Amino acid sequence: MNTVVSNTELAATLRSITGDSSVLTRRSQLLTYTSDGLPTYRKWPALAVFPNTRDELIQVVRALALAKRSFVPRGAGTGLSGGALAEGDAVVVGLNRLNRIISIDAENRLAVVEPGTVNAHLTRAASAYGLHYAPDPSSQTACTIGGNVAENAGGPHCLKYGVTLNHVAALTVILPEGEIVTLGNADGEDEGYDLLGAFIGSEGCFGIATDVTVKLTRNPEAIVTLLADFTSVESAAHAVSAIIASGIVPAALEMMDNATIRAVEASIYAAGYPADAAAVLLAEVDGLLAGLEADVRLIDRLCVEAGARTVRVAREEGERMRLWQGRKKAFGAMGRIAPDLIVQDAVVPRTKLPEVLAKIGEIGRHHRIMICNVFHAGDGNLHPNIAYDARNAGVQDRAHEAMREIMTVCISAGGTITGEHGIGLDKLDYMPLIFTPHTLDAMCQIRRVFDPERRSNPEKVVPIHSCREWYAASGARP
Amino acid sequence: MNVQTGHLHACTVTEVREEVRTALRRDESIRVAGSGTWMDAGRPVSAERVLSVASLNGVVNYEPGDFTITVRAGTELQLIADTAAKERQWLPLDPFGSPTGTVGATIATGSFGPLAHAFGSPRDHVLGLRVVTGTGNLLIVGGRVVKNVAGFDLTRLFTGSWGTLGIITEATLRLRALPEVDESYALTVDSDPQAMDAQLRALSTAPIAPYAVELLNPALAKRLDAGTDTTLLVRLCGNAESVRAQRSALSRLNTVRPADPRIWNTFAECEPADASVIRFARRPSHLGDLWRNAVRRTASGFVHASVGRGIVRCMASDTGWDDLTGEAWWAPGSAIVERGAVAPHRLPVPQNASAAARARISRGVKSVFDPSNILNPGIMGDVQ
Repeated sequence: MNTVVSNTELAATLRSITGDSSVLTRRSQLLTYTSDGLPTYRKWPALAVFPNTRDELIQVVRALALAKRSFVPRGAGTGLSGGALAEGDAVVVGLNRLNRIISIDAENRLAVVEPGTVNAHLTRAASAYGLHYAPDPSSQTACTIGGNVAENAGGPHCLKYGVTLNHVAALTVILPEGEIVTLGNADGEDEGYDLLGAFIGSEGCFGIATDVTVKLTRNPEAIVTLLADFTSVESAAHAVSAIIASGIVPAALEMMDNATIRAVEASIYAAGYPADAAAVLLAEVDGLLAGLEADVRLIDRLCVEAGARTVRVAREEGERMRLWQGRKKAFGAMGRIAPDLIVQDAVVPRTKLPEVLAKIGEIGRHHRIMICNVFHAGDGNLHPNIAYDARNAGVQDRAHEAMREIMTVCISAGGTITGEHGIGLDKLDYMPLIFTPHTLDAMCQIRRVFDPERRSNPEKVVPIHSCREWYAASGARP
Repeated sequence: MNVQTGHLHACTVTEVREEVRTALRRDESIRVAGSGTWMDAGRPVSAERVLSVASLNGVVNYEPGDFTITVRAGTELQLIADTAAKERQWLPLDPFGSPTGTVGATIATGSFGPLAHAFGSPRDHVLGLRVVTGTGNLLIVGGRVVKNVAGFDLTRLFTGSWGTLGIITEATLRLRALPEVDESYALTVDSDPQAMDAQLRALSTAPIAPYAVELLNPALAKRLDAGTDTTLLVRLCGNAESVRAQRSALSRLNTVRPADPRIWNTFAECEPADASVIRFARRPSHLGDLWRNAVRRTASGFVHASVGRGIVRCMASDTGWDDLTGEAWWAPGSAIVERGAVAPHRLPVPQNASAAARARISRGVKSVFDPSNILNPGIMGDVQ
């Protein structure tokens, strides 16, 4: 181990800041932190520290800077790209104890929260004022706002309301060297480079947000959820195109294929989806009560015209929640099919959905693996998931090969390799497929502006070799 | 390539790159321009060379079903509007100024107009960019799809960077569907401060979802033929039933008068050519105070406010500047000079503990993309 300070010494220093029970060093204690929401990877951190206050967090980061230690910020660990994993000398900085909602300014629809605040808890607190926090990842009952900022998280309702980037007004950040900086401006307009925009989605590589000022959204007067079922995936995809083209901006427009429907219906999350449907479409419209029914009627008609067998319209909260539960818990339901699951994330232009879905089907058949598609159809954000049993010889390799082919198909269709889960560790290899060496190198260098020693979440997001390649090719100074 | 008296009009990306490399070789700096309307926008640049990308124009790709459009930087906003309108779509971004302004300049300056109330500023519309940096490299950042978190978000850094990090040559933007009904209404606002604040509060909680809400001072209201007193101008969009209900909700605040839909075009272009423009912002709940202060300090000229965003924008003759900017009366809010004689660094700046750290990061960002400080020097993030 090539470190200035031993793990024992570092643990003692950190304990003097946070107290004994907030620093974990034993393997049995660290096991929980060896993987995140994507269990394909397992990495052992040197130790883990859980600051109890923002002051402790600041002291911890400064102690790590003094010790020249790498660290990995971690919220709830629900990320799906291996981004919250620490290896070797790196220390996990757990932020889930920093979960206070510091203030809510209902009149200006702003809230200041600590990074470990659970997404759904914020919405619950805001509901007293008729407000909510719009980005709603499927993991929202567990995932944290700090993690959402790091990943620029989306969710079903970002089709209408936008992603995390559009809902953060300001951040207080502790940089890896220990300096504190405010990005954005909650009291007026921000001037200068959009450093706030650059920080959001930087996957923990630029530092740690100590507090987040989020924008809250007024609750809609009315919400209606529709469930349409189709005998082919293509006709469901055509319905998506027709709805979007009509000019209606649905709050959400989600699709699930037959494999997903069956997994959901066999689970405790059964939502009443017709088990024999090739695909179901979950469409939601919300907003002012007046005029909403016209949108509902139009979506209903467009689905029928595209070939829907039935369209159910849910207006009651209970029924709506049941329809949504199946969608939001679909990944969990897949646990019934097989013990292992690869959750994938890619985006294609909406018009390419039918073609790409057909190719994904072919890839699954070719590799003899089961692919369940559950995704944000409205913005072309696919989640092809492979449920498999790693104990069966060869299946893991076939699953990974299938994933690689699916990514290639999405890139060829003009898409990108992640819409909301991030690059983390899992997608490093795909980065050179969508960015030129110059662009990758610029990303490396921007990271160094925030984190000169590359200690904050090291070796994530940008493949390190892509920096060197460009130095060699261009003769430029590193 | 087309050279006119010190101005170089690049027609291709290769020409842009060559120009940057020539400037680097000669140790000269470049002032980047679109159609040239914003050349004196409160950020004077002195540079040996002027490079215009206005000739680098046209639609590269438009797939209506994807609601995205890729255009070259010199494309006029009007061309995007005309192209998208054929498919009943639009780019809901209406910066003040002429519709012959270019999309590249709009993105580079982060400019927005009344529609930002509902749709935000360029950072909320831009999906991806092609940019020639100060080292002459072409960077392709972001993508062409509506959702994308691959890699660090360089797109946001270039957007609003005033051409100091790179020369935008191409942009992909998100489009929206044109609303079925698009109507605008004017209503008079009470001059009594308490009554006005109550009206603004009622507006913010009313069951309406407007696309734009602008407060106009009497001079501007008269200029736009929208009224004679302080006036609210509200744009209501949606399906017929929704707009009807919203209009009726609005009329509970005061009598509403229908406004000509073209009022927004007149509004965008109403800026007197010689006026200086500055905008102040605070949290929207302070808008009443911010407004009254700004109106009082603007001796003559037009004043308007984006009510939902808490932004007041003053167009004043230069003689009124001392009253407007002599002290930081807008604190803890912001003051940004759009155009005029008062350079941003001369504004009194409220104390900010992390200003030094931000300046250091900004210089770092600048040095990544323009290490020789040749692009629009003196505006932002200068390498020292």
